[in-house]
Amino acid sequence: MSGARDAILGRVERAVRTGRIPSAPPHDRDEDGGTRADGDARRGAPDSARLQERFVLEARALGVETYVEPTAAAVCDRLRTLIAGLRVLAWNPDGLPYDCGSIVDGALLGSSPRADQARAEVGITACHGAIAETGSLALVAGPGCSPTVSLLPPFHVALVRPEDLHERFIDFVTARADALAQSSNCTFVTGPSRTADIELSLTIGVHGPGRVAIVIGP
Amino acid sequence: MIAQLFPTCLVNEFHPAVGMSVARVLERLGCSVVVPEGLTCCGQPAFNAGFHDEARRVARHTLRVLTATDGPIVVPSGSCSDMLVHQYVELFRADAPAADAARGVAARCREFSQFVAERGGAPASMKTPARVAYHPSCHLMRGLGVRREPLEIIASIGAQSVAFDEQEECCGFGGLFSIKNADISASMMDRKLTAILASGAERLVSCDLGCLLHLEGGLRRRGAAIKVQHLAELVDEALE
Amino acid sequence: MSGGFAQRAREALGNQQLHIALDRTTAQLVVRRAAGLASLEDADRVRDRARASKMQLLHTLADSLRAFEARLVENGARVHWAETAADANRIIVEIATKAGVRRVAKSKSMASEQTHVNGAFERAGIGVVETDLGEYIVQLAGDRPSHIIMPIVHMTREQVGRVMAQRLAVPYSDDTQTLARYARAQLREEFLQADMGLTGANFGVVENGAICLVTNEGNARMVTTLPRVYVVLMGIEKLVPTMADLDRFLKLLARSATGQKLTAYTTLVRGPRRSGDDSGPDQMHVVLLDNGRSKILAGETAEILGCIRCGACLNACPVYRSVGGHAYGDVYPGPVGSIVTPGIRGLAPFAELPSASSLCGACREVCPVRLDIPRMLLALRHEAVEHTRQPAALRMGLTLFARVASRPRLYRAATAVVRRVLRSRARDGWIRRAPGMASGWTRFRDLKAPAAETFETAWRRRAAGRTS
Repeated sequence: MSGARDAILGRVERAVRTGRIPSAPPHDRDEDGGTRADGDARRGAPDSARLQERFVLEARALGVETYVEPTAAAVCDRLRTLIAGLRVLAWNPDGLPYDCGSIVDGALLGSSPRADQARAEVGITACHGAIAETGSLALVAGPGCSPTVSLLPPFHVALVRPEDLHERFIDFVTARADALAQSSNCTFVTGPSRTADIELSLTIGVHGPGRVAIVIGP
Repeated sequence: MIAQLFPTCLVNEFHPAVGMSVARVLERLGCSVVVPEGLTCCGQPAFNAGFHDEARRVARHTLRVLTATDGPIVVPSGSCSDMLVHQYVELFRADAPAADAARGVAARCREFSQFVAERGGAPASMKTPARVAYHPSCHLMRGLGVRREPLEIIASIGAQSVAFDEQEECCGFGGLFSIKNADISASMMDRKLTAILASGAERLVSCDLGCLLHLEGGLRRRGAAIKVQHLAELVDEALE
Repeated sequence: MSGGFAQRAREALGNQQLHIALDRTTAQLVVRRAAGLASLEDADRVRDRARASKMQLLHTLADSLRAFEARLVENGARVHWAETAADANRIIVEIATKAGVRRVAKSKSMASEQTHVNGAFERAGIGVVETDLGEYIVQLAGDRPSHIIMPIVHMTREQVGRVMAQRLAVPYSDDTQTLARYARAQLREEFLQADMGLTGANFGVVENGAICLVTNEGNARMVTTLPRVYVVLMGIEKLVPTMADLDRFLKLLARSATGQKLTAYTTLVRGPRRSGDDSGPDQMHVVLLDNGRSKILAGETAEILGCIRCGACLNACPVYRSVGGHAYGDVYPGPVGSIVTPGIRGLAPFAELPSASSLCGACREVCPVRLDIPRMLLALRHEAVEHTRQPAALRMGLTLFARVASRPRLYRAATAVVRRVLRSRARDGWIRRAPGMASGWTRFRDLKAPAAETFETAWRRRAAGRTS
C-alpha cells in the first residue's frame, strides 16, 4: 500500500526536523562510511596457530566438544566414533572435507523427507567459517547445505579446516560477502542450544542441538 | 581565595551545622567564605516534577544572585550541584542570555568533596578512627562523576571506609519521589539500610543531605543507633 | 496521584515471592553483564561508536528505510508498511489467509506483543503458538511477560510446572530440565507442522537487507527454516547501516543482556529460499511498523528509538527490582518502558511511569548505546505537566514554591512559618507524623525537625560577631 509507505516516510522526514536526536561526535563516526571495523588499522595478519588455539579455547568454554586431529584419517576416525550407532543426517558428502564423505554414504540428506530428517540423531556439517573470538561456526545455507542438518537432530558434529578460521565476525562477513549475498540464510552457531528462562537455571538443548562437537583437521 | 558558599535549602532549613562545617573546612583550606545574600533554592523540586516555568522562575533568581559574585561556588550537595552544572543550561535552552549565565555559573560550581579534593585534600586527622559507611549519592556519582574524592577524603583523615552490599545503588530518596512513590522509596531505603547495618559500620556518611535525612529517618524508625553525618561534618570533626 | 501503576506497584511490593525472584535474577544478570563487558576489548569505544551509528541512523531514517526496502526486494522479500498496530495485524493475517496458512509458529517479537497479533490470528481462525520457552509458558498460562529478555522472571519453577501439567497434560515436575524437555517435545511438532513462521527483528542491515535474529534456544532458526511462509514484523527504528555496525551491536547486545559473547544462534536472513535450497520459506514478507515510532522520533524522546532491547536498564533499575515488570502495565517495562509506552500508547494513561523513578541514572550507565534515559524521563514529566491533569495540591504547591523561592524576604518569612509548625510537632528533634503532603514521608520514616534558626541566620551572626 504505497499510501502507508508515503505516510510513514513523510512523517519520518518531518519528525527529524523537530525531534531531539543527539548528534554523533565526528570522531565516533566512521571515516569512510562505516565499512571499516574497529581496530582495523592496528591489526596485522593473525597467526594461524594462535587463531586455532583461541577458537578451541572459546568453543570449549561454551561446552562444545572440540577435537584437534593431526591427519585426515584421524578426522574420519573421530567422526566414525562420534556417530557410531546413530541415525545420521548430513550435508551433501561432496561438501564434507577430509574425505569424510564416504562415512555418510546412505545417510539422510537435507533433501530427504522432513519427517525422516526430524528423526535423525546426529547432524554432520562442515562450515563456511569458524570465528575464533567467539568460538562460533558460520553455516551458510545453500544446495547441499541445509540448515536442518545443524538444527533438527539433538547432536551436531561440525568439521572445520584451519583455512575456515577467521579472527572476528567482521573478518568473516567481509571475506565471504559474496557467498553471503548468494544465500538466503547464514547462522552463526555459538555453542549448544540453551535457555535460562525458568528461574535463570540453565538448561542445555531446547530446540536446537544440546550436544555440539567440532573436529578440526590439519 | 574567596569561595562562595551556596548552602542549599535543605542545609539551610534542616541542618545548618553542615553549612558551618563546610565553612570551617573551607577556611582551613585558606578560603575566605562568603554566603551570597538572598539565596533560596536551586529549583530542582519544580524541575524534577516537570514544572519548567516554575523552575525557571526560581533558577533566574538564583542565577541573578550567583552571577553577581566571583570565584568558585561551593555546594554541599551532589544533587543541587548537578542541577546548577547540568540542568540549568537545559532549562534555559530557549533563552540565550540566561543560558550563557547558566554556563558561567556551571563552570564555577564545585560540589564540596570535589572542591576539597581540588584544593589538595582535607587538612585533618581523626583522633579516634571511625568505621564509616559511605553512601555515594546518585547525582554526585553518576551525574557529576565524583566517585573517588569522598572516599579519598575519608581515608586521608584517618577514617576507615567500610564497604557494604550494593553500595552504589540508589537509596530511594529522589526528592519528591520519596513522597510521590513512598512505597517504592521505602523499599529501596530498606535494602540500603539492611546492607549498611550488616556492614558493621559505626557511621553513615554521604555528601547529600536529602539522602541522609531519608536514611536517618529510616534508621530511627528501625530503632538503629548508627551515627549519620554529612562528609563536611566528618571532616570538620577531624579538624579539631 | 494514584492510578494503575501505583496500585500494581503496591501489590508487587507485597509479593514476597516476586521480590525473591527479581532480586536473584537481576543481581545475577548485573554480574554477568559486568563480566561480559569486561571481556570486550575497548568496550567504551564500541559503545560510543554504536551510539553514534544509531543516532546517525535516526537522522537519516527515511533514506535508510528506502534503501533497506530496495535491498529487501532485491533479496526476494515482499515489503509491507504498517502505520498502526491494526494495520500490521491486518497485513499479516492477509498474508496468512492468502497463503492458506492454518498454523503459525512465532519466535520472540515484542513488536507483535504490542500489536496483539495473536488475537488477530485467533479471530481469523488461525492457530498461533509462541515458541520462546518463556513466551510459550506465558501463553499457556494466559499471563503476560514481565521482562524484555526473561519473560517469566516473575514465575517460580513450581508455578511453571503446574501450568504445564494443567495445559499439556504431562506429569507435574518442578525440575527445569524436565520442563524444558516438555516444551521441546510439544513445540517440535508445532515447528514441523507450521505453515508460517513469524519473528521480530533484532536488527535490519541497510546495506544488504539482512534481517538479524539473536536467540539461544533455536526456535528462531526453526521458524525461519521450516515453514513455507516467513513474516518479519519490525519496528522502523530497528535498522543499522552496515555490517560493521551490526558487528558492534552484536558485541554489545548479548553481553549487555546475559553476559554471553554471542547468543547460541545469530541468524542472518536474506530472503526466501534460493533455487537449489532444500529448506527455507517459499515466500518472505517484511512488515515495517510505525505505530507511534515516527511520533516519538518527532519529540524530546527521539533518542529512545536507539534502544537495542538488551534489558540491562531493567536489571540495573532499583525501581524495576522492587516492583517487577507487570507494574508498568504494558509490553515494555523498566526504564525503557517508562519512555516507550507513553510514546506509543499516549502519555495521559501512562503519565505515572516517567515519575516512577528517582532519576538515579543507573540505566544510563549500563545502556550499551548510552541512552540518556533520565533526561527523557524529565522531558516526559514536563510534557505531562503541560498536557495532562496534575493533582491540584502539587500544582498549587509548586506554583507557590516558585513565587516564594524567587523572593528572598518572602522565602525567609514563609519558611520560618513552616519550620515553626513542624517543630511544634517534634519530639527529641524528630516528627513521627507529618501533616498534609508530607505524611507520605512519615509513613515509613521519621522526619527530622527543621532547625530553630537557619544556617543563613547563624552565619550572619557569626560574621557580625567577627567584625565587631
